Amino acid sequence: MASNAAVPFWRAAGMTYITYSNICANLVRNCLKEPYKTEALTREKVHFAVSKWVDSKPQKSTIRSDTEEE
Amino acid sequence: MAMAALRREGRRFAAPLISPQPIRSSLIAEEQAPLGVRSISTQVVRNRMKSVKNIQKITKAMKMVAASKLRAIQTRAENSRGLWQPFTALLGDAPSVDVKKNVIVTISSDKGLCGGINSTSVKISKAMHKLTAGPEKETKYVILGEKAKAQLIRDSKKDIELSITELQKNPLNYTQVSVLADDILKNVEYDALRIIFNKFHSVVSFLPTMSTVLSPEVVEREAESGGKLGDLDSYEIEGGETKGEILQNLAEFQFSCVLFNAVLENACSEQGARMSAMDSSSRNAGEMLDRLTLTYNRTRQASITTELIEIISGASALEG
Repeated sequence: MASNAAVPFWRAAGMTYITYSNICANLVRNCLKEPYKTEALTREKVHFAVSKWVDSKPQKSTIRSDTEEE
Repeated sequence: MAMAALRREGRRFAAPLISPQPIRSSLIAEEQAPLGVRSISTQVVRNRMKSVKNIQKITKAMKMVAASKLRAIQTRAENSRGLWQPFTALLGDAPSVDVKKNVIVTISSDKGLCGGINSTSVKISKAMHKLTAGPEKETKYVILGEKAKAQLIRDSKKDIELSITELQKNPLNYTQVSVLADDILKNVEYDALRIIFNKFHSVVSFLPTMSTVLSPEVVEREAESGGKLGDLDSYEIEGGETKGEILQNLAEFQFSCVLFNAVLENACSEQGARMSAMDSSSRNAGEMLDRLTLTYNRTRQASITTELIEIISGASALEG
Protein backbone atom coordinates (compact mmCIF):
# COMPACT_ATOMS: atom_id res chain seq x y z
CA MET A 1 0.00 0.00 0.00
CA ALA A 2 2.51 2.60 1.05
CA SER A 3 5.71 2.96 -0.81
CA ASN A 4 8.95 2.95 1.04
CA ALA A 5 9.21 6.71 1.08
CA ALA A 6 5.68 7.53 2.21
CA VAL A 7 4.91 7.90 5.89
CA PRO A 8 1.64 6.89 7.50
CA PHE A 9 -1.02 9.58 7.48
CA TRP A 10 -0.70 10.33 11.16
CA ARG A 11 3.02 10.86 11.01
CA ALA A 12 2.52 13.25 8.12
CA ALA A 13 -0.03 15.15 10.20
CA GLY A 14 2.55 15.74 12.93
CA MET A 15 1.44 13.16 15.48
CA THR A 16 3.84 10.88 17.22
CA TYR A 17 3.29 7.18 17.64
CA ILE A 18 2.33 7.81 21.24
CA THR A 19 -0.53 10.12 20.31
CA TYR A 20 -1.65 7.64 17.66
CA SER A 21 -1.74 4.74 20.09
CA ASN A 22 -3.52 6.86 22.71
CA ILE A 23 -6.28 7.73 20.25
CA CYS A 24 -6.62 4.07 19.29
CA ALA A 25 -6.80 3.11 22.98
CA ASN A 26 -9.46 5.73 23.56
CA LEU A 27 -11.51 4.27 20.72
CA VAL A 28 -11.20 0.80 22.19
CA ARG A 29 -12.21 2.05 25.64
CA ASN A 30 -15.27 3.69 24.20
CA CYS A 31 -16.36 0.36 22.77
CA LEU A 32 -16.84 -1.13 26.21
CA LYS A 33 -20.21 -1.52 27.86
CA GLU A 34 -21.20 0.06 31.14
CA PRO A 35 -20.05 -0.21 33.94
CA TYR A 36 -16.62 -1.16 32.59
CA LYS A 37 -16.69 1.83 30.34
CA THR A 38 -16.74 4.40 33.12
CA GLU A 39 -14.05 2.45 34.96
CA ALA A 40 -11.84 2.44 31.92
CA LEU A 41 -12.42 6.08 31.18
CA THR A 42 -11.28 7.04 34.68
CA ARG A 43 -7.95 5.51 33.70
CA GLU A 44 -7.59 8.12 31.03
CA LYS A 45 -7.56 11.27 33.06
CA VAL A 46 -4.63 13.56 32.44
CA HIS A 47 -3.46 16.39 34.63
CA PHE A 48 -0.09 18.01 34.95
CA ALA A 49 1.51 21.43 34.75
CA VAL A 50 4.47 21.84 32.44
CA SER A 51 6.62 24.92 32.16
CA LYS A 52 9.35 25.52 29.65
CA TRP A 53 12.53 27.20 30.82
CA VAL A 54 14.12 29.92 28.74
CA ASP A 55 17.33 31.61 29.83
CA SER A 56 17.20 30.06 33.29
CA LYS A 57 13.72 31.38 33.89
CA PRO A 58 10.57 29.35 33.98
CA GLN A 59 7.86 30.52 31.69
CA LYS A 60 4.26 30.51 32.74
CA SER A 61 3.24 26.93 33.15
CA THR A 62 0.60 25.52 30.90
CA ILE A 63 -1.72 23.09 32.53
CA ARG A 64 -2.66 20.12 30.41
CA SER A 65 -5.73 18.81 31.99
CA ASP A 66 -8.86 16.92 31.18
CA THR A 67 -10.54 18.06 34.35
CA GLU A 68 -12.32 21.38 34.37
CA GLU A 69 -10.50 24.22 36.07
CA GLU A 70 -12.59 25.54 38.92
CA MET B 1 44.94 8.87 96.44
CA ALA B 2 44.05 11.77 98.64
CA MET B 3 43.44 13.97 95.63
CA ALA B 4 41.16 11.36 94.13
CA ALA B 5 39.17 11.13 97.35
CA LEU B 6 38.94 14.91 97.54
CA ARG B 7 37.75 15.06 93.96
CA ARG B 8 35.11 12.46 94.68
CA GLU B 9 33.91 14.43 97.70
CA GLY B 10 33.80 17.56 95.58
CA ARG B 11 31.76 15.85 92.96
CA ARG B 12 29.30 14.57 95.53
CA PHE B 13 28.76 18.10 96.79
CA ALA B 14 28.77 19.62 93.36
CA ALA B 15 26.29 17.25 91.76
CA PRO B 16 23.19 18.03 93.81
CA LEU B 17 24.01 21.71 93.56
CA ILE B 18 24.35 21.66 89.81
CA SER B 19 21.28 19.71 88.81
CA PRO B 20 18.47 21.84 90.23
CA GLN B 21 20.18 25.09 89.15
CA PRO B 22 19.87 24.77 85.35
CA ILE B 23 16.33 23.51 85.60
CA ARG B 24 15.35 26.30 87.90
CA SER B 25 16.99 29.02 85.86
CA SER B 26 15.58 27.80 82.55
CA LEU B 27 12.14 27.43 84.04
CA ILE B 28 12.24 30.82 85.66
CA ALA B 29 13.22 32.37 82.35
CA GLU B 30 10.04 31.02 80.75
CA GLU B 31 7.93 30.62 83.84
CA GLN B 32 4.28 31.12 83.33
CA ALA B 33 3.12 30.85 86.96
CA PRO B 34 2.13 34.15 88.60
CA LEU B 35 4.85 36.17 90.35
CA GLY B 36 5.43 35.43 93.98
CA VAL B 37 4.83 31.69 93.70
CA ARG B 38 7.86 29.95 95.03
CA SER B 39 7.44 26.47 93.61
CA ILE B 40 9.09 25.43 90.38
CA SER B 41 6.57 25.34 87.56
CA THR B 42 6.01 22.15 85.59
CA GLN B 43 3.85 23.95 83.06
CA VAL B 44 6.53 24.28 80.43
CA VAL B 45 7.44 20.61 80.48
CA ARG B 46 3.82 19.64 80.39
CA ASN B 47 3.20 21.79 77.29
CA ARG B 48 6.13 20.23 75.54
CA MET B 49 4.90 16.77 76.37
CA LYS B 50 1.49 17.54 74.95
CA SER B 51 2.87 18.85 71.67
CA VAL B 52 5.30 15.95 71.25
CA LYS B 53 2.45 13.52 71.83
CA ASN B 54 0.36 15.22 69.16
CA ILE B 55 3.22 15.11 66.71
CA GLN B 56 3.67 11.43 67.42
CA LYS B 57 0.01 10.79 66.64
CA ILE B 58 0.30 12.67 63.36
CA THR B 59 3.40 10.83 62.21
CA LYS B 60 1.82 7.49 63.09
CA ALA B 61 -1.20 8.39 60.99
CA MET B 62 0.99 9.46 58.09
CA LYS B 63 2.77 6.14 58.25
CA MET B 64 -0.54 4.25 57.98
CA VAL B 65 -1.63 6.37 55.04
CA ALA B 66 1.67 5.82 53.26
CA ALA B 67 1.45 2.06 53.90
CA SER B 68 -2.01 1.84 52.36
CA LYS B 69 -1.02 3.93 49.34
CA LEU B 70 2.04 1.77 48.89
CA ARG B 71 -0.02 -1.40 48.79
CA ALA B 72 -2.27 0.07 46.13
CA ILE B 73 0.53 1.18 43.85
CA GLN B 74 2.97 -1.65 44.33
CA THR B 75 1.13 -4.23 42.25
CA ARG B 76 0.76 -1.74 39.42
CA ALA B 77 4.47 -0.96 39.46
CA GLU B 78 5.41 -4.62 39.34
CA ASN B 79 3.01 -5.25 36.50
CA SER B 80 4.35 -2.33 34.55
CA ARG B 81 7.82 -3.85 34.52
CA GLY B 82 6.61 -6.13 31.78
CA LEU B 83 6.13 -3.14 29.52
CA TRP B 84 9.74 -2.28 28.98
CA GLN B 85 11.37 -5.65 29.35
CA PRO B 86 10.75 -6.64 25.72
CA PHE B 87 12.38 -3.39 24.68
CA THR B 88 15.48 -4.10 26.65
CA ALA B 89 15.53 -7.59 25.22
CA LEU B 90 15.30 -6.18 21.71
CA LEU B 91 17.33 -3.03 21.84
CA GLY B 92 19.52 -3.49 24.87
CA ASP B 93 20.14 -0.89 27.52
CA ALA B 94 23.25 1.08 26.77
CA PRO B 95 24.20 3.38 29.61
CA SER B 96 27.65 3.93 28.26
CA VAL B 97 26.68 5.19 24.85
CA ASP B 98 28.45 8.34 23.87
CA VAL B 99 26.23 10.94 22.28
CA LYS B 100 26.26 14.65 21.71
CA LYS B 101 22.94 15.65 23.20
CA ASN B 102 21.96 14.10 26.47
CA VAL B 103 18.74 14.86 28.23
CA ILE B 104 18.48 13.82 31.84
CA VAL B 105 14.94 13.21 33.05
CA THR B 106 14.89 13.38 36.82
CA ILE B 107 11.87 11.97 38.58
CA SER B 108 11.06 13.15 42.07
CA SER B 109 8.09 13.71 44.31
CA ASP B 110 5.96 16.77 44.75
CA LYS B 111 5.45 16.34 48.47
CA GLY B 112 8.09 16.21 51.14
CA LEU B 113 8.67 14.20 54.32
CA CYS B 114 9.79 11.22 52.31
CA GLY B 115 13.30 10.63 53.51
CA GLY B 116 16.31 11.01 51.25
CA ILE B 117 15.09 9.67 47.92
CA ASN B 118 14.82 13.02 46.19
CA SER B 119 18.31 14.01 47.26
CA THR B 120 19.77 10.77 45.91
CA SER B 121 18.02 11.28 42.58
CA VAL B 122 19.36 14.80 42.30
CA LYS B 123 22.86 13.67 43.29
CA ILE B 124 22.89 11.02 40.57
CA SER B 125 21.53 13.51 38.03
CA LYS B 126 24.30 15.93 38.79
CA ALA B 127 26.90 13.17 38.57
CA MET B 128 25.45 12.09 35.23
CA HIS B 129 25.60 15.67 34.06
CA LYS B 130 29.26 15.90 34.93
CA LEU B 131 29.95 12.54 33.35
CA THR B 132 28.37 13.43 30.05
CA ALA B 133 29.73 16.94 29.86
CA GLY B 134 32.53 17.63 27.46
CA PRO B 135 33.46 19.57 24.35
CA GLU B 136 30.65 19.79 21.80
CA LYS B 137 28.32 17.94 24.10
CA GLU B 138 25.38 19.38 25.89
CA THR B 139 23.30 17.98 28.67
CA LYS B 140 19.92 19.29 29.67
CA TYR B 141 17.51 18.51 32.48
CA VAL B 142 13.84 17.71 32.37
CA ILE B 143 12.49 17.73 35.89
CA LEU B 144 9.40 15.92 37.13
CA GLY B 145 8.29 16.95 40.60
CA GLU B 146 8.76 19.92 42.87
CA LYS B 147 11.50 18.59 45.09
CA ALA B 148 14.09 18.03 42.40
CA LYS B 149 13.23 21.39 40.88
CA ALA B 150 13.94 23.14 44.16
CA GLN B 151 17.31 21.42 44.47
CA LEU B 152 18.42 21.77 40.87
CA ILE B 153 17.44 25.43 40.62
CA ARG B 154 20.25 26.30 42.97
CA ASP B 155 23.18 25.48 40.74
CA SER B 156 21.98 24.17 37.39
CA LYS B 157 19.47 26.82 36.43
CA LYS B 158 20.70 27.31 32.91
CA ASP B 159 20.55 23.63 32.05
CA ILE B 160 16.90 23.08 32.79
CA GLU B 161 14.75 22.57 29.76
CA LEU B 162 11.33 21.64 31.13
CA SER B 163 9.83 21.25 34.54
CA ILE B 164 6.66 19.36 35.28
CA THR B 165 4.64 19.41 38.47
CA GLU B 166 1.25 18.30 39.79
CA LEU B 167 1.67 14.91 38.28
CA GLN B 168 -0.01 13.00 41.09
CA LYS B 169 -3.27 14.88 41.25
CA ASN B 170 -5.08 11.96 39.63
CA PRO B 171 -4.02 8.39 40.21
CA LEU B 172 -1.17 7.57 37.87
CA ASN B 173 -2.19 6.06 34.58
CA TYR B 174 -0.50 5.31 31.30
CA THR B 175 -2.38 7.95 29.33
CA GLN B 176 -1.10 10.73 31.53
CA VAL B 177 2.48 9.59 31.36
CA SER B 178 2.31 9.08 27.63
CA VAL B 179 0.97 12.59 27.08
CA LEU B 180 3.85 13.79 29.21
CA ALA B 181 6.32 11.74 27.19
CA ASP B 182 4.84 13.19 24.04
CA ASP B 183 5.35 16.71 25.37
CA ILE B 184 8.94 15.97 26.22
CA LEU B 185 9.64 14.44 22.83
CA LYS B 186 8.15 17.39 21.03
CA ASN B 187 9.94 20.06 23.01
CA VAL B 188 13.36 18.63 23.50
CA GLU B 189 16.05 17.65 21.04
CA TYR B 190 17.92 14.64 22.16
CA ASP B 191 20.23 11.89 21.12
CA ALA B 192 19.85 9.94 24.32
CA LEU B 193 17.38 10.25 27.14
CA ARG B 194 18.52 9.20 30.56
CA ILE B 195 15.75 8.63 33.04
CA ILE B 196 16.77 8.69 36.69
CA PHE B 197 14.42 7.33 39.29
CA ASN B 198 14.36 5.26 42.47
CA LYS B 199 13.64 1.66 41.72
CA PHE B 200 11.51 -0.06 44.30
CA HIS B 201 13.07 -3.29 45.50
CA SER B 202 11.35 -3.63 48.85
CA VAL B 203 9.79 -1.49 51.52
CA VAL B 204 13.15 -0.59 52.98
CA SER B 205 15.35 -0.58 49.90
CA PHE B 206 15.06 1.82 46.98
CA LEU B 207 17.99 2.04 44.65
CA PRO B 208 18.51 4.96 42.32
CA THR B 209 18.54 3.64 38.78
CA MET B 210 19.11 5.05 35.35
CA SER B 211 17.43 3.89 32.16
CA THR B 212 18.62 4.98 28.75
CA VAL B 213 16.44 5.49 25.72
CA LEU B 214 18.21 6.28 22.47
CA SER B 215 16.84 8.29 19.64
CA PRO B 216 16.31 6.39 16.37
CA GLU B 217 19.28 7.98 14.65
CA VAL B 218 21.60 6.86 17.40
CA VAL B 219 20.11 3.39 17.25
CA GLU B 220 20.98 3.24 13.58
CA ARG B 221 24.49 4.36 14.31
CA GLU B 222 24.96 1.83 17.07
CA ALA B 223 23.46 -0.89 14.90
CA GLU B 224 26.27 -0.41 12.45
CA SER B 225 28.84 -0.96 15.13
CA GLY B 226 27.42 -4.36 15.93
CA GLY B 227 26.35 -5.80 19.21
CA LYS B 228 22.76 -6.32 20.18
CA LEU B 229 21.49 -3.58 17.95
CA GLY B 230 23.32 -5.04 15.00
CA ASP B 231 21.00 -8.03 15.11
CA LEU B 232 18.06 -5.81 14.26
CA ASP B 233 18.59 -6.46 10.59
CA SER B 234 17.90 -10.12 11.07
CA TYR B 235 14.27 -9.28 11.91
CA GLU B 236 11.75 -9.28 9.12
CA ILE B 237 9.62 -6.19 8.80
CA GLU B 238 6.00 -6.60 7.83
CA GLY B 239 3.69 -3.99 6.53
CA GLY B 240 4.72 -1.16 4.33
CA GLU B 241 7.06 0.57 6.74
CA THR B 242 10.75 1.00 6.53
CA LYS B 243 13.19 0.10 9.22
CA GLY B 244 13.76 3.75 10.03
CA GLU B 245 10.08 4.35 10.59
CA ILE B 246 9.71 1.32 12.76
CA LEU B 247 12.69 2.40 14.81
CA GLN B 248 11.13 5.80 15.30
CA ASN B 249 7.83 4.34 16.45
CA LEU B 250 9.65 1.92 18.69
CA ALA B 251 11.82 4.63 20.22
CA GLU B 252 8.82 6.78 21.08
CA PHE B 253 6.89 3.90 22.51
CA GLN B 254 9.93 2.71 24.43
CA PHE B 255 10.35 6.11 26.01
CA SER B 256 6.71 6.21 27.01
CA CYS B 257 6.81 2.72 28.57
CA VAL B 258 10.07 3.28 30.38
CA LEU B 259 8.83 6.61 31.71
CA PHE B 260 5.60 5.00 32.91
CA ASN B 261 7.45 2.32 34.79
CA ALA B 262 9.89 4.85 36.20
CA VAL B 263 7.13 7.12 37.48
CA LEU B 264 5.32 4.21 39.13
CA GLU B 265 8.46 2.84 40.75
CA ASN B 266 9.39 6.26 42.03
CA ALA B 267 5.93 6.71 43.52
CA CYS B 268 6.31 3.34 45.29
CA SER B 269 9.71 4.33 46.60
CA GLU B 270 8.31 7.65 47.76
CA GLN B 271 5.57 5.96 49.80
CA GLY B 272 8.01 3.40 51.20
CA ALA B 273 10.51 6.08 52.18
CA ARG B 274 7.76 8.15 53.75
CA MET B 275 6.65 5.11 55.75
CA SER B 276 10.10 4.52 57.18
CA ALA B 277 10.72 8.23 57.78
CA MET B 278 7.45 8.60 59.68
CA ASP B 279 8.15 5.41 61.59
CA SER B 280 11.53 6.62 62.79
CA SER B 281 10.10 10.01 63.67
CA SER B 282 7.34 8.38 65.77
CA ARG B 283 10.01 6.38 67.53
CA ASN B 284 12.08 9.50 68.19
CA ALA B 285 9.00 11.28 69.48
CA GLY B 286 8.38 8.36 71.84
CA GLU B 287 11.94 8.57 73.17
CA MET B 288 11.64 12.33 73.57
CA LEU B 289 8.42 11.80 75.48
CA ASP B 290 10.16 9.35 77.85
CA ARG B 291 12.94 11.81 78.55
CA LEU B 292 10.46 14.64 79.12
CA THR B 293 8.44 12.47 81.51
CA LEU B 294 11.57 11.82 83.56
CA THR B 295 12.37 15.54 83.69
CA TYR B 296 8.78 16.31 84.62
CA ASN B 297 8.80 13.84 87.48
CA ARG B 298 12.15 15.07 88.74
CA THR B 299 10.94 18.69 88.75
CA ARG B 300 7.71 17.73 90.42
CA GLN B 301 9.48 15.79 93.17
CA ALA B 302 12.02 18.58 93.68
CA SER B 303 9.25 21.14 94.15
CA ILE B 304 7.45 18.86 96.62
CA THR B 305 10.69 18.40 98.55
CA THR B 306 11.35 22.15 98.74
CA GLU B 307 7.83 22.77 99.99
CA LEU B 308 8.24 20.12 102.65
CA ILE B 309 11.59 21.58 103.73
CA GLU B 310 10.10 25.03 104.02
CA ILE B 311 7.15 23.79 106.04
CA ILE B 312 9.29 21.72 108.37
CA SER B 313 11.89 24.41 108.89
CA GLY B 314 9.13 26.93 109.49
CA ALA B 315 7.51 24.64 112.04
CA SER B 316 10.80 23.97 113.81
CA ALA B 317 11.55 27.72 113.87
CA LEU B 318 8.25 28.31 115.63
CA GLU B 319 8.95 25.69 118.25
CA GLY B 320 12.57 26.57 118.81
